[in-house]
Amino acid sequence: MLEKKTNIYWLFILPGCLFLTFFMLIPLFSLLFKSFVDEGGAFSLTNYLTLMESTYFKQVFWRSIRLSLVSTAVCAVLGFPTAYYISKYSQNKGVLMALAVFPMFTSPVIRSFSWMVLLGKKGIVNDLLVSLGIVAKPVSLLYNEFSMVVGFIQLFLPLMILSLIGVMDNISEDLNLAAGSLGASRIGVFRHVVLPLSIPGLVTGSVLVFTGCLTAYTTPQLLGGTDTRVLATMIYQQAMSLGDWTQASVVAVIMIVVTIAVSTVINKVSRKLNPTI
Amino acid sequence: MALLELQGITAGYDKNVILKDLDFQVEKGELVSLLGSSGCGKTTTLRLIAGFSTPMSGKFMFGGKDYTQVPLNKRNFGFVFQSYALFPHMTVFDNVAFGLKMRGLPADQIKKEVMEMLETVDLGGFEKRFPKEMSGGQRQRVALARALVIKPDLLLLDEPLSNLDAKLRVKMRVEIRRLQQKFGFTAIYVTHDQEECFAISDKVAIMNHGVIEQMDSPSVIYNHPKTEFIARFVGFENFMDLKPGASDGVYTLPDGSTVQAEGGRRGDSVRACIRPEDILIVTDGAEAVNPLAGEIMVSTFLGKRNQYNVRTAIGEFEVSTDQESVCRIGDRVTLSLPPAKIILL
Repeated sequence: MLEKKTNIYWLFILPGCLFLTFFMLIPLFSLLFKSFVDEGGAFSLTNYLTLMESTYFKQVFWRSIRLSLVSTAVCAVLGFPTAYYISKYSQNKGVLMALAVFPMFTSPVIRSFSWMVLLGKKGIVNDLLVSLGIVAKPVSLLYNEFSMVVGFIQLFLPLMILSLIGVMDNISEDLNLAAGSLGASRIGVFRHVVLPLSIPGLVTGSVLVFTGCLTAYTTPQLLGGTDTRVLATMIYQQAMSLGDWTQASVVAVIMIVVTIAVSTVINKVSRKLNPTI
Repeated sequence: MALLELQGITAGYDKNVILKDLDFQVEKGELVSLLGSSGCGKTTTLRLIAGFSTPMSGKFMFGGKDYTQVPLNKRNFGFVFQSYALFPHMTVFDNVAFGLKMRGLPADQIKKEVMEMLETVDLGGFEKRFPKEMSGGQRQRVALARALVIKPDLLLLDEPLSNLDAKLRVKMRVEIRRLQQKFGFTAIYVTHDQEECFAISDKVAIMNHGVIEQMDSPSVIYNHPKTEFIARFVGFENFMDLKPGASDGVYTLPDGSTVQAEGGRRGDSVRACIRPEDILIVTDGAEAVNPLAGEIMVSTFLGKRNQYNVRTAIGEFEVSTDQESVCRIGDRVTLSLPPAKIILL
C-alpha cells in the first residue's frame, strides 16, 4: 500500500514558502505590476520609456554599473593574491581567514562612519597627504565616487576572498609540482595552472561583489553625495522623498534585470575560459 | 661514474627525520625501484630527487653536477604522479604539449612531437579529450606521455599504477618497461608492490626506516636477502638461530639437533631462513633431510596449495605445499628442510 501513503514532508517547507510568498513574491510582483501600469490604470511601457529618456536616470544608471564594475575589479585584484597566500602558504589559515572576514562582523553604518573619520577634510588621510607634501591643501575624499568605491571594497572584499579560497583549496599541490617539473617557472605555474583553475571562484566572487555593490544602500547613502546617486539610493529618493512609488518600482525592476543579466554574462564568459567548470 | 648519486642525504619535515644519511646510486639507462612499506622514505627520496623538496644535509649529484639546489623547473626530469596530476582544464594534447611549450619550441614541432608521443602510448585520436573524459589507464598513459615527451634526463615514477585495477596494472607495467627499453631512459620507480617492482626493475632498493637495506637485482634479492627485514619482505616466513656445528656447513639448532646448510662459514651464530614453499612434509616415515618433527596446528586451503602452521621444538613453521596428501590438524609430521634452500643472513 505504498502508493496510498501520503507524503507529508512538504509540510516542513510550508512555513518558509508562506513567508517568502507573503514577504517576497507578493511585494515583488506588485512592484512589477505597478511598473507596467500607466496613470489611467492600463498596461503600458510609458513608465519605462519616460525614465529611459531622463538624463538624470541615465547618469545614475551608468554610475551604478561603473562603480560596481570598478569595485569588483579591485576586489579581484586585491583578493586573488590574498586568497592564494592564505590557501597555499599560510601556517595559520584559520586566523587569517577570520581576519579576512572580520569586516563582515560590523554593520555597514559603523564602517561608513569610520571612513568619514578617515577620509574627511581633517581626517588622517588628508593630514598625511598634506604633511608629506603630496597635496598643498586637503582634498575632498568624501561624498564622492572615490569614497563609495572604498566603502564597497571593504564591504565585499571578504566575499571575493572566501570564494577564491574555496576553489584554491581544491587545486592539488601535485598540479603545481607537475607544471614545475615540466619546466614552468613560478610565474608560469601561476599563469597556466593556478589562475585558470581559480576562475570558478573568481566568477562566484565577482557575481557576489557586483550584485552586492549594485544593490547596496547604506554605503552609497552615507559615503556618497547628492550628486553621486546610484540606483539603490535613487529608489529611496523616488519613493520616500518624492513619493513616486511607480518611478521607484521601475528603477527597482531595472536593477533586478541588470543584476541577473550581469551574473549570466559573467558565468557565460567564465565557461568559455575554462571548459571544465 | 654513476649518473645519479645521493651522498649522505638527511631529509624530513620540521623535526621529523625521514631519511638518515642516505646513499643511493643509479647508473645511466637503469630502471631502479625503491621498494618499501608506507613511511619508509621512498616517496621522500623520489620527491627530493625531483626537486620538490631540499635535503637538510647531504648532496645530490647528477651527471657529475651538483643538483642539490637546482630548482625543479631547471632539472629536466619527468615525474609521473600517483594521482596522475593531469591539468583538468587542458585537453590531452595541451597536457602533453605543456613541457614543450614551456621550453619555447615552435608550434609545428610541438604538434609533431606530441602526436608522435600519443601514438607511442597508443592514444592516437584522443588529443581533443579532457582528462575527466578518460579512463584510469588512459589517464596514466597521458601522464607518461607528458613526462616522456620532454625527453627527460631522468624519469621518476611515484606509485604510478596503484590506482589501477589488477589486470591493468600488469598491462601497464609491461608498457612502462617497453617504453623504458625503447627510449633507454634512466628511471626511478617507487612502489610498495613487490611483484610489480621485481617484474619491472633492473635493480631494486628495499628501504626501511629511511635507509636502504639492500640494493641488488631482483633475483639476487629474491634468492639471497641480506637482512631479516628483506627476507620477510620477499616471502621468507620461517627463521632459525643457528650455532656453528662440528664441521663446515653443519649447524646446531637451539634444541640441540643439527642441521646442514650450504655456503656456511664457521664462526659466530647466524640467523637463517627458509620459504614456506621450500619445506617438504614427510608423513609416511620416508627419508627426510634436516628432519624436524612437528604437529599441524592450522591448515588453510589456498586452491593450488595447502598452507600449514606446524609447531616444532624450535618454534612454529609456516609450510606451503602442493603435495596431494592433506594433513589434518593434530597430525604428527616430519618437516624436511633442503640444505640448498636454507638461506644464511
